[in-house]
Amino acid sequence: MGSRASSLLREEDIEEIKKETGFSHSQITRLYSRFHSLDKGENGALSREDFQRIPELAINPLGDRIINAFFPEGTNKKYTAREDQVNFRGFMRTLAHFRPVEDNEKNKDLTSGEPLNSRTNKLHFAFQLYDLDRDDKISRDELLQVLRMMVGVNISDEQLGSIADRTIQEADTNGDMCISFSEFTKVLEKVDVEQKMSIRFLH
Amino acid sequence: MEIDAEYDSGSDVDSKRRAKGKNKPKPAARGKKAKADSVEESEEEEEEAPRKRKGRKKKEESEEESEEEQKGRRKKAAGSKKRAVKKDDSEEESEEEKGNKRKGGKKGASRKEKEEENNKEKKGNGKAAGKGGKDKQDDKDKKKNKGKNSSGSSSDDNSEDESMSEGEMARLKEEVEEKKKLIVTLRNKPWRMKRRLKCLKEAQAFVEKFEGALGKGKGRRLYAFKVMMTKVLMGMPYGSIARKTVPRDEQDSAMDFSVLFEFGVICYCLIWIKLLTFLQGYCKYSIMFYGYYNNQRSIGLLQFRLPLSYLLVGVGIFGYSLMVVIRTMARNANEGGDGAEEGAFTFSWKLFTSWDYLIGNPETADNKFASTTTSFKESIVDEQENLKDENIHLRRFLRVIANILILCCLGGSGYLIYYVVKRSQEFAKKDRNELTWLQKNEVEIVMSLLGLVCPPLFEVISELEEYHPRIALKWQLARIFALFLGNLYTFLFALFDEVNAKLDNEKEIKNETIWALKEYYDNYTLHHNVTENIPPPNISPADVIRGPCWETEVGIEFVKLTVSDIQVTYLTILIGDFLRAVIVRFLNYCWCWDLEAGFPSYGEFDISGNVLGLIFNQGMIWMGAFYAPGLVGINVLRLLSSMYYQCWAVMSCNVPHERVFKASRSNNFYMGLLLLVLFLSLMPVIYSIMTLPPSFDCGPFSGKDQMYDVIMETIEKDLPPFMADIFSYASNPGLIMPAVLLMVLAIYYLNAVSKAYQNSNMDLKRKMQMQRDEEKNRRNNKDSTNQVMKDLEDLLPNKSLIPPPSAEETEKPADQLSKSPKVTGKPGAAATGKGVNVKKDVSLAAANPRAPVTRPPGPRPPGPLPGIARGPLPGQGMGRGRGGPPPRR
Repeated sequence: MGSRASSLLREEDIEEIKKETGFSHSQITRLYSRFHSLDKGENGALSREDFQRIPELAINPLGDRIINAFFPEGTNKKYTAREDQVNFRGFMRTLAHFRPVEDNEKNKDLTSGEPLNSRTNKLHFAFQLYDLDRDDKISRDELLQVLRMMVGVNISDEQLGSIADRTIQEADTNGDMCISFSEFTKVLEKVDVEQKMSIRFLH
Repeated sequence: MEIDAEYDSGSDVDSKRRAKGKNKPKPAARGKKAKADSVEESEEEEEEAPRKRKGRKKKEESEEESEEEQKGRRKKAAGSKKRAVKKDDSEEESEEEKGNKRKGGKKGASRKEKEEENNKEKKGNGKAAGKGGKDKQDDKDKKKNKGKNSSGSSSDDNSEDESMSEGEMARLKEEVEEKKKLIVTLRNKPWRMKRRLKCLKEAQAFVEKFEGALGKGKGRRLYAFKVMMTKVLMGMPYGSIARKTVPRDEQDSAMDFSVLFEFGVICYCLIWIKLLTFLQGYCKYSIMFYGYYNNQRSIGLLQFRLPLSYLLVGVGIFGYSLMVVIRTMARNANEGGDGAEEGAFTFSWKLFTSWDYLIGNPETADNKFASTTTSFKESIVDEQENLKDENIHLRRFLRVIANILILCCLGGSGYLIYYVVKRSQEFAKKDRNELTWLQKNEVEIVMSLLGLVCPPLFEVISELEEYHPRIALKWQLARIFALFLGNLYTFLFALFDEVNAKLDNEKEIKNETIWALKEYYDNYTLHHNVTENIPPPNISPADVIRGPCWETEVGIEFVKLTVSDIQVTYLTILIGDFLRAVIVRFLNYCWCWDLEAGFPSYGEFDISGNVLGLIFNQGMIWMGAFYAPGLVGINVLRLLSSMYYQCWAVMSCNVPHERVFKASRSNNFYMGLLLLVLFLSLMPVIYSIMTLPPSFDCGPFSGKDQMYDVIMETIEKDLPPFMADIFSYASNPGLIMPAVLLMVLAIYYLNAVSKAYQNSNMDLKRKMQMQRDEEKNRRNNKDSTNQVMKDLEDLLPNKSLIPPPSAEETEKPADQLSKSPKVTGKPGAAATGKGVNVKKDVSLAAANPRAPVTRPPGPRPPGPLPGIARGPLPGQGMGRGRGGPPPRR
């Protein structure tokens, strides 16, 4: 596997990705083969349809949101091949959020900026799943949409509305009837995000 | 957010598979890919030599790819290529299978022929369907098919004609060898992992199956071992001693069961009735019950001590169960509590963390979906309950009434059972043939019916109480628990009455036996004039006078209870769920109201009730297993069958329970109930072992005064004498009392230690919390939100770092401008504590004036303290506005 992937992947690319995401060389090549297998269009970039073919995402009510998270807002040439396509760099950048925090990393002082897999960045990734318009606030409407995705038609709109209200009421500390990122962080303060939002990538 | 560590394994295999399966159509990197594939494989299995395979596989794959390329293109155009390919595969496989089946019919054909034909057919199929994808599967593939094919047909052969001819034997042997070879070489095949695994399993199963029959390998040894063990453990086979033989007058009724069985299954009920009589007849003297085992001290070459092991196993089961239950509880207690304390952010948590992102199976996803919905509904109901306005007096009154009603129910059911058991004892005195079936099985039927009727009744009554659903559920469970337990214990007490009666009866019979024996000896001496070496009376074991053997009777009662319980449960599911669902579903088309939504609706699946049923079933097994060892086997069968049966019923004809509440978040609620039941079922058994004398002529303890005498006997006879001494000292009260005291002390000490640990845990938690808060404060608002610290610093005399007044004057306007919003903003931030708005503070921190220090830090300037001097300055009356505080960090 390694030989094929690395043959298509230039060494300097790997180095760059390594620096950016913190993945090891073998992880990158491994993930590259995964990327490649997802890439049905054979053009070195993933479209939304490619992601939707992953069963875990296909059945996840929030699957579309997760897929969205792979497509950054500003079309940065570095990460996106063209509109609605994400290249390997972008793919890796998103996956880097899920890299587990290693012990030696915790102690290292963060001279080179916060790594992508820090607690804040992990949480921010989760936050973006709910923050549709990317205004750094989860509004009541956005909550309602998520709720609707999660429970389907089994619960009436009215009840869902009251749930959304309650949620905001719980989490909102500054009274703007929205959940900001800091409020979101506070809600999930007790969750071991570092561990839960980590995937053990094979080395 | 529930992403766990296991993800990668699945995805990795997946990716490999996909990488292998899906990427083939790409022409550019074909050679490389083939290479990559081989590397992949070497990663999966280390032992092979990749070099050899590589060339071969490259060839194969390039062949394959050229064809699959076209196929792939077409598929891609169609959209979901993956699915299509999969379907393709399965279609082809099914076609192959069809071919195989057809082949199975013609048995005369030799395997070679079959194989060829199969290939032809497959090719034909492939081409006819225009797929052409798979027909270039290599030889090995065909071998696998052939293997499958032949294994199927040969097993058919086997079952149909028992005696294998010489040729068939040889063929089978050859096949087994082939399969073995296949297992060894499977690693090298260029197949997908899934297929390899499947193939491996098939081959292994085949080898396992036929190797034993052919008298090779471990199969044979296993078989011999089994036979030997049965001989050793069971002692002599049926008929060798009296207790293992059916008495003469019962033999007719005992055998007609098997006749009935031969005749066939006419009707479900009839069989169950027959089964119950069967218990009375044949089974009573079988391995299932206490009475079967005899009191021979040791059996066979291995000196297997049956009575001793019987007792030890009987008691050991309790010990083991106790250990398992408690360990499970302890493990459960460790889990949970991962998140925040209850009630802090219920809704937010539900919203943000309820989905398990690892779910990849659509069915699981549906379940998770439903459970999320349930939990939301639960919280909605919770909310509504909180808002409810109430009339306290009325409600209290209603609750009292409800409880009285339920107590009446419980008392009534207890009395009913007692009455029925007493009546059945009266019936038992009469001749069995006069009794109707109903009279014989009254107790079990009444108990099952009570278990069936009472819980719904309780539910209706509890409507009066208007408890919060979660509390109501707990009450309901407690009541059902009380009902079952009450019934069981009434039953037990009645049984003990019966046992005592039997014991009296037994004494008489014992005297009779002794009398008869004495008479026989007297007669013998009279007739033959010999006083010594009298041969034992020559009576067929079936005709010996025997006591009632209360142990077996108790065992039979429990088995009957279990069997009728199974019966009732199954019938309830069949009628109450299945029939109802069928009626509701199909009559709905021609009914005046909506049956599905309206009155009958579908049956609900009551999880907590079912769990409770399981627990009680287990309790019954615990109680009965000592006197009816076969009960365990019955129970295993029951649990296995009911798992599939109930699973089918739930999936096909039940709807989720309307009441959405779970009884408890942790599993320990039910485990606690299980523990209680274990304890309660342990008591009567231990009591009976310790106090009641065993029957004189049946069971492993016959002839002893107490059952535990077996242990004494073993200690005396089988262990070296000093061990006996040790035990006699150990059983001295002078030693036992201190031992008990020591244990009490140990419990006390451990309890204290655990409390201390708990406290230190809490402390550490609090410390961690504080640390996190502090860190956050430091990060979020660099300057500090800590009022106390600031005030303290104000009081510090060491203000030497403060710039001189001249500098202060110049910077003051800017200072004021930037400070004022901060001062107003601060109290809010302080009030909300940790929830500081990051943005604001960050911006403030940036605007924080940092005047250049123009003078090196020197001795404090003369005059009043700067802090005091600054006090009355205009614009800084707020108290905390200081001129250019030194950057703290």
